[in-house]
Amino acid sequence: MSEYALEVRALKKTFGSKVAVGGVSLTVEKGILFSLLGVNGAGKTTMIRMLNGLSKPTEGQAFVMGHSVAQELSQIKQLSNISPQETAVAPNLSVWENLEFMADIYGMNREKSRKRVQEVLDQFALHEVEQQRAGTLSGGWQRRLSIAMALITNPEILYLDEPTLGLDVLARKELWRTIEDLKGKITIVLTTHYMEEAERLSDQVAVMVAGEIKACGTVHELYTITGKKTLEDAFVAIAEGEVSI
Amino acid sequence: MRSIIFCKRTIKELLRDPLSYIFCLGFPIVMLIIMSVVNNSIPAEAHMDIFQIQNLAPGIAVFGLTFVMLFACLQVSKDRTTAFLTRLYASPMRPVDFIAGYTLPLLIIAVLQAVINFVTSFVIGLISGYTFQLFHVLLCLVALLPTALLFIAFGLFAGSLLNDKAAPGICSLLITAACILGGIWMDVDSIGGILKTVCQVLPFYHGVQAARMAMQGEYSQLGKPFFIILIYALVIYTFAVLAFQKKMRSDLK
Ligand SMILES: Nc1ncnc2c1ncn2[C@@H]1O[C@H](COP(=O)(O)OP(=O)(O)OP(=O)(O)O)[C@@H](O)[C@H]1O
Ligand SMILES: [Mg+2]
Repeated sequence: MSEYALEVRALKKTFGSKVAVGGVSLTVEKGILFSLLGVNGAGKTTMIRMLNGLSKPTEGQAFVMGHSVAQELSQIKQLSNISPQETAVAPNLSVWENLEFMADIYGMNREKSRKRVQEVLDQFALHEVEQQRAGTLSGGWQRRLSIAMALITNPEILYLDEPTLGLDVLARKELWRTIEDLKGKITIVLTTHYMEEAERLSDQVAVMVAGEIKACGTVHELYTITGKKTLEDAFVAIAEGEVSI
Repeated sequence: MRSIIFCKRTIKELLRDPLSYIFCLGFPIVMLIIMSVVNNSIPAEAHMDIFQIQNLAPGIAVFGLTFVMLFACLQVSKDRTTAFLTRLYASPMRPVDFIAGYTLPLLIIAVLQAVINFVTSFVIGLISGYTFQLFHVLLCLVALLPTALLFIAFGLFAGSLLNDKAAPGICSLLITAACILGGIWMDVDSIGGILKTVCQVLPFYHGVQAARMAMQGEYSQLGKPFFIILIYALVIYTFAVLAFQKKMRSDLK
């Protein structure tokens, strides 16, 4: 077994002449929360898509929990899950049915899946809407369900692509607590445009600019590198190329 | 196992859409009743027998199946445009799970629809003095299966290749073609000529013929159209499966 949750070597993705991810190499240790920061179009979603088999790398290699994305995708799929950037729920199924559906698809038996549904309903405070059709929920509630659907399968590695987008302040704080509870137990890859979120949750941060990782380290390491005192200032400095690393 | 789980969700999606009831169930029954009324006012000397209930019921059954195609196509194209499918692509679902998960529920809906259509026809038959034979009705259900598969295949095809705006348009084109060239609303045999040749080249006419022959217990004439439509259905379904897989692979580029 690999000691890393993620091992990415010179991973590259181009769309025609457009380079979305340009030869990224990085390693992520197991059990940490790794934040991928970057301006719009920096290549965060493309990175995550490649690691989930949703997009084929043009070049390079990636290993998830020691399994090669190119050769062992089926093993990877079983032990990872993703909350996509766009909310992804089945609109005509109830909240309960959506959750149960996900658990079943990942091969949980009936008893276990029921139990997990209850746990996740608790965790995301979805009980009051459990019988409601997902399509009739408000945007923020759909978002919560969408995240819950990623978590219900007990993934060893969880990708959260802008999870707090569209959540109200309370729901966001609540999600932060849920994520903090998961820290150390599973590996989480997070993308976000909220610097305070990254600051609070991340063990490790990488800043992507135009498909490349410009800086990678703990939040404090980024302060030291850039000589700034907040992640937002550090991010801006790196993204605008003020500091060269 | 995953295909069964995906089947269950497709069935729920389909049955919870009110349009399913209007188009898949309501519309064929309304047509059945209207055409029976029309038939009543056609004088016997006209020798128009396609609207007689024993011919009308199988014809309408095929007509109903064209709407199953529309639903197949809408379901697939709708799923493809939402991020929900992204999530499933990232899950352990294999292409065969998707295909089975779309096909089986639609086949079930197709059979349900035909059964309801035949029950209604039975009642109309009672009024107009025609008694359906149960064995013939069952045979007709079997004879309809290849046509159901054919239309589901068309639906999968259109749903995989087109977006949810273009797909319904193409489907209504196919619905119209199937109705006219399948001989549901007109007697192709007595018109003959080029039209009949065109009809015989396309699958729809054979599907309608198979259903009608089965309903009338014309065993000696049932075999040929049944096998023709069966072969059409299998070939086109194979293409539809390939198209879906190809589309899935290109979505994952
Ligand atoms: N399917 C595609 N075809 C063509 N170009 C694409 C495709 N997917 C992504 N791109 C391009 O790749 C680049 C990176 O996109 P990506 O979605 O990974 O950015 P992102 O960092 O997630 O941005 P955001 O913060 O806005 O979500 C963009 O320039 C985008 O236009
Ligand atoms: Mg993105």
